[in-house]
Amino acid sequence: MTEGTIFSIEEFAVFDGPGIRTAVFFKGCPLRCNWCHNPEGLERAPQVVRNPNGCLACGKCAPLLGAGKTAAEDDLCVCPRGLLRISGAAYTSGALAARLLKNADILNANGGGVTFSGGECLMQAGFLEETLERLRGKVHTAAQTSGFAEAGAFDRVIRKTDLVMFDLKVMDRALSKKYTGQYNDLILENFAALKASAAPFIARAPLIPGVTDTEENYGAILAAVKGSRALRVELLPYNKMAGGKYKLAGRKFEPMFDEGVAPRIDTGLFERNGIEASVY
Amino acid sequence: MTDRVRKIYDRLIAREYRNLRSDAEYDFAAEFAAAGLPLETRAGLRLLRLAEAERAVMFPGDRIGFLRTVKRVPPLQTAAEWETIHKTRFVFDGAQVGNISSDYEYTLNVGLETRRAEIVERLKGVQEGGKAFHLLNAMLTSIEAVYVVADKYRAAAERAGARELAAALGNVPRKGAGGFYEALVFFRILNFALWLNGNKHNTVGRFDVYMRPFYDKDIETGKLTRAAALDLLEEFFISLNFDADLYPGVQQGDNGQSLVLGGMGADGGEVFNGLSRLCLEASLELKLIDPKINLRVNKGTPDEVYRLGTELTKQGLGFPQYSNDDVVIPALTRWGYEERDARDYVVAACWEFIIPKVAMDIPNIDALNFPDIANRVIRDKLAAGGNFDEITEGVKAAITADVARIAESVKNIFVEPSPFQSVLMRDCVRDARDVSEGAKYNNYGIHGAGISNAADALAAVQRTVFEDKTAAPDELLAALDADFAGYEKLRGKLLAAPKMGDNDDCADGLGCMLADAFADACAGLKNERGGIFRPGTGTAMYYIWFSERLPATADGRKRGEPFSANYSPSLSARSKGVLSVIQSFTKPDLQRVCNGGPLTLEFHDTVFRNGEGTQKVAALVKAFIARGGHQMQLNAVSRAALLDAQKHPEKHRGLIVRVWGWSGYFNELDIAYQNHIIKRLEFTA
Repeated sequence: MTEGTIFSIEEFAVFDGPGIRTAVFFKGCPLRCNWCHNPEGLERAPQVVRNPNGCLACGKCAPLLGAGKTAAEDDLCVCPRGLLRISGAAYTSGALAARLLKNADILNANGGGVTFSGGECLMQAGFLEETLERLRGKVHTAAQTSGFAEAGAFDRVIRKTDLVMFDLKVMDRALSKKYTGQYNDLILENFAALKASAAPFIARAPLIPGVTDTEENYGAILAAVKGSRALRVELLPYNKMAGGKYKLAGRKFEPMFDEGVAPRIDTGLFERNGIEASVY
Repeated sequence: MTDRVRKIYDRLIAREYRNLRSDAEYDFAAEFAAAGLPLETRAGLRLLRLAEAERAVMFPGDRIGFLRTVKRVPPLQTAAEWETIHKTRFVFDGAQVGNISSDYEYTLNVGLETRRAEIVERLKGVQEGGKAFHLLNAMLTSIEAVYVVADKYRAAAERAGARELAAALGNVPRKGAGGFYEALVFFRILNFALWLNGNKHNTVGRFDVYMRPFYDKDIETGKLTRAAALDLLEEFFISLNFDADLYPGVQQGDNGQSLVLGGMGADGGEVFNGLSRLCLEASLELKLIDPKINLRVNKGTPDEVYRLGTELTKQGLGFPQYSNDDVVIPALTRWGYEERDARDYVVAACWEFIIPKVAMDIPNIDALNFPDIANRVIRDKLAAGGNFDEITEGVKAAITADVARIAESVKNIFVEPSPFQSVLMRDCVRDARDVSEGAKYNNYGIHGAGISNAADALAAVQRTVFEDKTAAPDELLAALDADFAGYEKLRGKLLAAPKMGDNDDCADGLGCMLADAFADACAGLKNERGGIFRPGTGTAMYYIWFSERLPATADGRKRGEPFSANYSPSLSARSKGVLSVIQSFTKPDLQRVCNGGPLTLEFHDTVFRNGEGTQKVAALVKAFIARGGHQMQLNAVSRAALLDAQKHPEKHRGLIVRVWGWSGYFNELDIAYQNHIIKRLEFTA
């Protein structure tokens, strides 16, 4: 049985697919989006994180925090407020599926299911596939992906999940490299494959002021989605909360865009082209 | 909100009208005692004198009115008299009648003159100078007192040119209300008078049942439009807030003005109607702490009700609170309430289920301290080398003993007579008996504080001491004695053990055991009024009071750390999430512990940022109800906003939070209650 690393299982994830859903966050991501609001999900290996709420700044946790460091559950008690935890737990596909199925009755009764997110869930494609197989027919599944994944794995996963939620971030090749750390060729190839497949999908666009909310980027997203089987486009406006979790993950938040500017929300562009668009 | 209502609202928020109150203090007790007056007579006389002392205060545009100018309701008895009572009797919550639900339906329809005629008729067969004689006469005096205040407002309304109010007061409270507007004015008079009469926790009850005929008729005949009705209703809701600072409670806001909407009617049909919707709309627009909205739901409740309720939750008021007819009604009938009465249940000050018109239940007479019981038994049994079965058996025995002790301690109860409240009950005139002495139902309710902390402590002992054997009994006892100083690793293990709320059968099973043991302990016990003891899952303020005195406990809780409020995961439980919490907290047989006390869930306010989030919260409430949950209360809060309010209270004057069974202004709460709310939120953001 394949083992994977999960950094969070969020019950009642409200903005991650239809109905009442549990979202599973896979640890590790090949992209480094400058606006990432889930910095815990970047590193593949487990790490110690500190909830900043209520922190007394006593410094006792310093030896445990930082890149490449890890700790045993027992070591966490150095924090007098109990604010430390290990981000990244190992699960077998069987254990993860069992945990998720414990709430299957509530999920199924409310048009919901399970959403695999991250990080990048396709970075652990084998584990994801196995888990999807175990859930098939028992609960609705969705996979959220940046599309930056090996083509073979991508094809297998979209065949095994009930819904794909595909991110279209920076459509320009050079800007993609600048803001996400990777060229987007692979992403666009996988999106083309998704469109050609039978898999139901939603396109999701994070709106980052001055980066992804430009006329050019909007236009490119529309061009990519137009005429496809996309169920809808979801626009995800950047909110200032993103930076808040960096401290927790021991990282520095260095936005290359103006956080103070509200992103431009243009659902009309899609609606005029016969595509349903909603804002999250 | 219309401009007119906006002005009234602004006046409430500015609070300057409170400067118009009189500084005069009244003290009648010495005179009453010297004259040897019976307590019933004193109560009637006190209300009359306070009514005479009241001044009518009207503002331009008022259509309902009634503002208190007398600040304090003086005691009926002298300090010496009280001393004797305290020595010989059990006194609960100041001995004032309260936390019950009046028969508004009858009173609003027939008017106080009809009530008065019934009392006069009843007096005919009564021996002069006897208890019943004094009571019935005091009822008449009380009615007279209500007329005195109403007539002052009628005159003031005439002077101010408020013709509509003057005309209404020419009819009510003497005669029954002639329409929705008059019914609102009438209710406001009764509400005003109950507070002036010294009654506590005056509940509003099934507003959309007793007000509905007036509303429907006015809408049908075209006397009122929906918009005009909303305008009146909003003024009425605001009026319930004007004098809230004078209403007694543990904290300001704890005043019991609970309003119940929807649910199964006495005849079995669904109640939720156009007026229910109007109430939700008014509450949504006003965002005030009174009245506190309760929604009754059941298997047949349409999704619309959950959706409208969630729109209200989104405002961050901490209500509506939901109660599940499918659990509560059978629970009440099992406890001996007649089916029709059970179907008519309302919510008392916080969450206790009570019956309007006919009940003098005291649903909050005391509380069982679950964590203390678990702690005592764990310590005793571990010290004696006992196994886990002996611990659970010991806990059951201790629960039985504590419930018996509570039942014994509430005997020989003294409650001050309340002739005016008695006028508003169905049977008190017929029986010539003051409501303080009992009514058709006389059951007592016992809260169950800290059930999750106790279950967690037991689960931690089971896991660490008996299963994994990673903690030796002596070490655990030493750690508890030391408040975990020097035992941080052990505390870490205790905190990592299964918790109630994780959907883990170990901790949840212990929670079920505790609930069942509580129900078993109450079963068969009778109080001195022939009523039973109803176990519940509420905490009231005991989650703070009990915890302040309790040393460190095996769930990893340190000395003095508060328990969970009501029926909720403990503060230290790092919950897996709301779905697991719902699964855990619907495992116990809640029909057996149905005195009241909700599962409380906190949601970060960003969950409500679009319609989809709101719709999903509504679905979640429905899922809890479908699984047999008895009562639920949700909060939409931002921890950051609360922290900022502690630093800059002046910027957050309107910030409302749910405390235990009621909502209050955050700024007006003691720091312990503020901090508890902030602590609850650490894992939601």
